[in-house]
Amino acid sequence: MINRRDFLKNTAIGIAGITLPLAAFEIIRPEKILANMSGTSKTRWVFLVDTYKCVGCGLCVKACKNENEIPYDANVTRTWVERYVITKDGKLHADTPKGARDGFTTSRIELGQGKYEEIRDEDIIKAFFVPKLCNQCENPPCVQVCPVGATYQVPDGVVLVDRKWCIGCGYCIMGCPYGVRFFHPKYHTAEKCNFCYHRITKGLKTACVSACPFGARQIGNLKDPGDPVTKVIMTERVGILKEEYGTKPQVFYLGLDREVK
Amino acid sequence: MLEKALYGSKRYWTWIIFLLAVIGVGCLTYLKQLNEGLGITGLSRDVSWGLYIGQFTFLVGVAASAVMLVIPYYLHDFKKFGKIVILGEFLAVSAVIMCILFIMADMGQPMRVANILLHPTPGSIVFWDVVVLNGYLLLNLIIGWTTLGADRKGVKPPDWVKPLIYLSVPWAVSIHTVTAFLYAGIPGRHFWLTAVMAARFLASAFAGGPALLIILALLVRKFSKFDPGTEAIQAIGKIVTYAMFANVFLLGLEFFTAFYSNIPGHMHPFKYLYVGLEGHTKLVPLMWTSSILAVVSLVLLVFPSVRKKEGILAFACISLFTSLWIDKGFGLIIGGFIPNMFEGVTEYWPTLPESMITLGVWAIGFLVLTVLYKVVIAVREDDTAVEH
Repeated sequence: MINRRDFLKNTAIGIAGITLPLAAFEIIRPEKILANMSGTSKTRWVFLVDTYKCVGCGLCVKACKNENEIPYDANVTRTWVERYVITKDGKLHADTPKGARDGFTTSRIELGQGKYEEIRDEDIIKAFFVPKLCNQCENPPCVQVCPVGATYQVPDGVVLVDRKWCIGCGYCIMGCPYGVRFFHPKYHTAEKCNFCYHRITKGLKTACVSACPFGARQIGNLKDPGDPVTKVIMTERVGILKEEYGTKPQVFYLGLDREVK
Repeated sequence: MLEKALYGSKRYWTWIIFLLAVIGVGCLTYLKQLNEGLGITGLSRDVSWGLYIGQFTFLVGVAASAVMLVIPYYLHDFKKFGKIVILGEFLAVSAVIMCILFIMADMGQPMRVANILLHPTPGSIVFWDVVVLNGYLLLNLIIGWTTLGADRKGVKPPDWVKPLIYLSVPWAVSIHTVTAFLYAGIPGRHFWLTAVMAARFLASAFAGGPALLIILALLVRKFSKFDPGTEAIQAIGKIVTYAMFANVFLLGLEFFTAFYSNIPGHMHPFKYLYVGLEGHTKLVPLMWTSSILAVVSLVLLVFPSVRKKEGILAFACISLFTSLWIDKGFGLIIGGFIPNMFEGVTEYWPTLPESMITLGVWAIGFLVLTVLYKVVIAVREDDTAVEH
């Protein structure tokens, strides 16, 4: 039998439960991004890309390949730079030759299979570069699909791959909506950017951040309100990629164009 | 019973040696892949699964289709399937073995496959697929072997096998549902992100698998004294017809949703497959071949008087099987990867080594199937001898 006191108590809890999510919607503050962060770790590694500053030199790609044992001439990269050119006819032209390892040395757009497209300067409306890397999602689909737990999220938010445990089934490569994963040509296991975890946990910057001469790339700790990266993310207009999938990517972009996929 | 596979005609041994030769070539090529990695295949960052996983997906369907014989025979007491049901179960066994081998072939580090069980990860669909596939293999081996053994002695199968048979029914559905879930739950893959995926998988499985079984049953009758039964074959023909219509209907639903909604992400893979995208048309001829064969098979199957003629039935089944093999074993998988996550197009085509390995796995499947069917035929021919 339920007594009156319990009934009232439960009703009160029930009403509180219904109203609480509504209340949460009413106040949307920058801190909400922080509230999304799970775990008790004092660190949440995040990345900030300022696309206005990127010139597509590709030094970040070079540095990353050397730092992380990615075969230099293999057509795979942990980070890469995309070039977007939008012409007057409204068409989008995008390429990333060799992941922009050697920068963009020609104005021709690479179409793949040795084919190129010539674009006249006067036809261009806008053009820009967008560096890409692993988004270290808060809800990483790659971790969800891994059948052996070889890819996992550490408490400070970075998603890692255990090269010694991965069976190379490729499910995570297929499951990543950002296309940042690939097969390591030598280890035959899944591979991706890990924010240079071996460096950042020792107080160093990532290889790409250190290599960027223009400050287009920055890494920071979102849980530290004094961190310059955190300040930008909290106060400026930043964008993220493919928000609609609910993966909560943690690479933030300044000046993100709607054409960027 | 297995010793019965050791005695056979010259034709039987020629076939076995041919299969062994193909397996040999496949194995040697696989050693190369083991050494050099999946780089010897046509796979890339953008199309990370290809022919291997396509074959795997298709064959899970073939395996699951045994249930189309088990349900009528064991649940509805449809006696005409008495002789043929074992062929379905053993077809399932060989299909599952091929599935497992195709998964292994697609792995970068196959030596570590035990990690799936050493670190069970229930959040991953691959984990569940491994569990249900191995379970299904075991179920069909036990059921098939026990019922055949009882048959040989002229007694009823032991009672304990009945619950296993009943269990195999939902289990068959589960293997293909789980396989569909491999694809249907991935954000950013519009082509696969559809709730009818599992239903479509089952429909195509229940068309393609039994179609193959009809072809096999006709071959068994041609090359041995064992007759699986004309009426049984016709009954399966009916099942194939219904299932194929369901499959084409479900495919039609996909087209409607993609093109009426006018959402580019949903339309692009279909455009790539059937008309080409941004000048990339590698799969277009294949997909139209598949579509034409599907129509041909349906036209031939839909009229009972036409499909009654076994020659036509066989032709229709070969058309249907080929159609589904292209659609599900290739187009469905590759289509999901094109366009890629950046809306660009990276095409895929299997390389020669990749094709050799694939043929090798099929040869292993056929070897297993031949040996198992040989045992069945030997047992049944003995029966016939006793009856006469």
